[in-house]
Amino acid sequence: MGLLAYRRMLPDVDLLLEYPYTRTTGPVLGQFLTGLRDGQLLGIRNGDEVLCPPLEYDPTTAQALDPLLVEVATEGTVQSWSWVTDPTSTHPFDHPFAFALVLLDGTDHAMAHAVDAGSIDEMSTGMRVAIQFHEERTGSITDFHFVPLDRAHAVDIVEGAEPVTTIVQLISLNYHEPLHAHRARFAQGLLDGRFIGQRSPASGKVYVPGRGYDPLERVEMGEDDELTVTDRGTVTSFTVITPVDYYGQKETKPYIRASILLDGSDSPLISVDIRNLEEEDIRVGLRLQAIWRPEGERDLTGIDNRSVPLEGVIERWDPTGEPDADANKLREFTQ
Amino acid sequence: MTDHSRDVAVVAVSQTPAYEAFAGPEPVLIMRCVNDLLSRTGLERHDIDFTLAGSCDYLSGAPFAFVSNIDGVGAWPPVYESHVEMDGAWALFEAWIRLQLGDIDVALVIGSGRSSPGNNREIFSLQGDPYLAAPLGLDPASLAGIQARSLLDAKIATEADFAAVVERSWKAAADNPNAMVRRSDTADQLLDQPYYAAPLRAHDVAPVADGAAALLLVAGDRARELCERPAWIQGIEHRIESHHPGYRDLTDSPSTRSAAEKVGGSGTFDVAELMITHSHEEIIVRHALGLGDDTVVNPSGGPLGGHPVMATGLVRVIEVASRIADGSAQRGLAHASSGACLQQNLICVLQGDD
Repeated sequence: MGLLAYRRMLPDVDLLLEYPYTRTTGPVLGQFLTGLRDGQLLGIRNGDEVLCPPLEYDPTTAQALDPLLVEVATEGTVQSWSWVTDPTSTHPFDHPFAFALVLLDGTDHAMAHAVDAGSIDEMSTGMRVAIQFHEERTGSITDFHFVPLDRAHAVDIVEGAEPVTTIVQLISLNYHEPLHAHRARFAQGLLDGRFIGQRSPASGKVYVPGRGYDPLERVEMGEDDELTVTDRGTVTSFTVITPVDYYGQKETKPYIRASILLDGSDSPLISVDIRNLEEEDIRVGLRLQAIWRPEGERDLTGIDNRSVPLEGVIERWDPTGEPDADANKLREFTQ
Repeated sequence: MTDHSRDVAVVAVSQTPAYEAFAGPEPVLIMRCVNDLLSRTGLERHDIDFTLAGSCDYLSGAPFAFVSNIDGVGAWPPVYESHVEMDGAWALFEAWIRLQLGDIDVALVIGSGRSSPGNNREIFSLQGDPYLAAPLGLDPASLAGIQARSLLDAKIATEADFAAVVERSWKAAADNPNAMVRRSDTADQLLDQPYYAAPLRAHDVAPVADGAAALLLVAGDRARELCERPAWIQGIEHRIESHHPGYRDLTDSPSTRSAAEKVGGSGTFDVAELMITHSHEEIIVRHALGLGDDTVVNPSGGPLGGHPVMATGLVRVIEVASRIADGSAQRGLAHASSGACLQQNLICVLQGDD
C-alpha cells in the first residue's frame, strides 16, 4: 500500500509543546514589573540618561546601576514600526496591530512594544503614543500596550500587596506534520495487532520500531526492509517512576517503565508502560507476552514521529511462564 | 581571529536541497550529507576526530532532537562530538578553534533543521528577552520590519531597493539546484504584493525550509592530501550586539564590521555569501563590509531562495568554499547571522592556494 493510502487512514500528528518557565526578576526588573502591576512606569538612571525599560547595568560599560527606579512619562514618540497583518497565537492581539520602538518622553532609548492603532494608516514614524494600562495586571510587560495619544483612557488602579519577584512564562507551541512513511506503516501494524520492524540491509540487525534508517551503518531503510516481529519478548531493563508534581503531570502513583526486547529484534522497545505487574514481579530476563486490545479499540493517541507509546494498542504485558532469559546476555540492551 | 598557529581548510562540502517539508527524520538529512562527504574524500567514519553540529530542538518540537541527530553520523563506536543550539556556522567556529589545539586534524561540521512541523514566527519570538520581549510575541519578522523602516526613514533605502534584492536573489537561485524558490518576478511585480510585516512583504522574508548541510574541516598537510584545492580559512570571528533593539542603531551593523575587521575582512573578494533572511539586511551588511561592485554577492541566491534554518549560515561557507574548490573564486567571504535584526554576526574569510 502506498504512502498516500496510509496518510488517508492515519491522522497527522498534532503536538502541543507546553510548559511554564518561572523566573526570578532580580531587584531592577522586579521593581519595574511591580510598577506596571500598580499602574506606574519606572525607569533607571544611568548618569544623565534614563533607561526604560530599566537595565541592571550600563549597556556600554556593563557597570552596575543604582537600583533606585524613577517614574517615567507614559507618553512617547514612535521611532520605527512594523505592521502585523496576520497575528500569530503568541501575539498580544488577534487583530492587526503594530510593533514599534517607542521613545518615552524623558528617556534615552526606545522600548519595543505593541501599538493598537486600529489601522496601518494610523501609524507613522514620529507619531505620539501613550500607554494604555489593562484592567487586569499581573506584573508583566503585557500589562499594557500603546495607543495613539488621544485614545488612552484612565483605568482604576488598585495597588497590589507584595512586590513582584518572579514571572511565569507559559511556552505554548503547536506542531503539525504527517507521520513519516515508515512510522505510518508501523502505526498501521499496531492497529492490525502486529509489530513491524526494519532489518538493516547492511548488518541484518532488526530495529523495532524502525526509524527509517540504520543508525549504526548509516543506511536508509524502507518498506522493502520491513518484517513482522513477534509480540513476545524479554525485559532487558526497567525502572519504577515515582511521579513528582509538574505542569501537565497526570500520574499519581509509582509505575513501571520497561525495555522489552522482542524475539527476533536487535533493539528493545523502550519506555514500555507496564501497569499489570508490581515492582517485585518484574526483573531483567522476565519473559512477557503482549496482550493486544481488541481490534477496533486500538488507539494511536500519542504516537508521533518520535515516540511510540503502546498503551493505546496493548492492554497489558503478561508473564509467559517460561524460564527467565540469561540476564548476562542482555547487558547490551539495558537502555 | 587571524593570529593562529595552524592552517585549516574546508576540503569537502555537502548540502541537501532546501525542502518545503522533508517527509522523513532529520537524521536522514544529516546522513545523506555525511555519506556524501565520506564517499567523496574516501575517509571512513573513524577517520573523523571531532563532530560538531548546530541545530535547534524547538524547530520540530522534539526535546533532545540533537541527540537523535547523532544517528545521522553513525554513533557507534562512540564519537567525540559537541553541539551548539545555533546555526551550523557557529559549529564551524567551534570546530576551527578545536583544530587550533593541534592534537586532531579532521572535524565534521553539520547544520540541520526540520522547521516544517512548527511555526517559525512563534518559535523564534522565544529568542527575545524573556521578561520584556518574548511575552509580547515580539518576533524576528516584525523586528525586521522595524529595522527595514529605519532604513526607509533614514533615506538609506527604498522599498524598491528591497524588491531589487529579492529579484536578483531569485534570479541567482534559479541556477542553484538546492534552492527552494523557483520564481522570476520582477521588482515591479513584487512591489504590487501586499505587506506581511510592513514595510516588508512576504517575499522579503526568507522562506523557511527543512534541510541539512555539512563540511569537513581539516588541518595542515592533511587538507592538501584530501583535496586538490582546499578553501583555507584565513580568519573566522563573530560579534554580538545588545538584545534590546532600542539600544542599537538598526540602520547599521557594527558587529558585522568589527568581526570582519578582526579577520581581515576588507580588501577584495571574488564572492561573498551573506545570510540575508530579510531583504533589507543585504543593504546593511554590504555597507558594513564595504563590499564593492567587484564582489559577486549571493550567487547561490542566498537565503531568500531557501532558508534551511540552522543550516543556512553554514551553507554560506559551503557556497564560498565550493567556488574556491572549483577555481571560480580565489578569495571569498561568508557571513552568518543569528538573533533579530542582525544581532549577532559571524564572518569567515576563505582563500584558495595561489
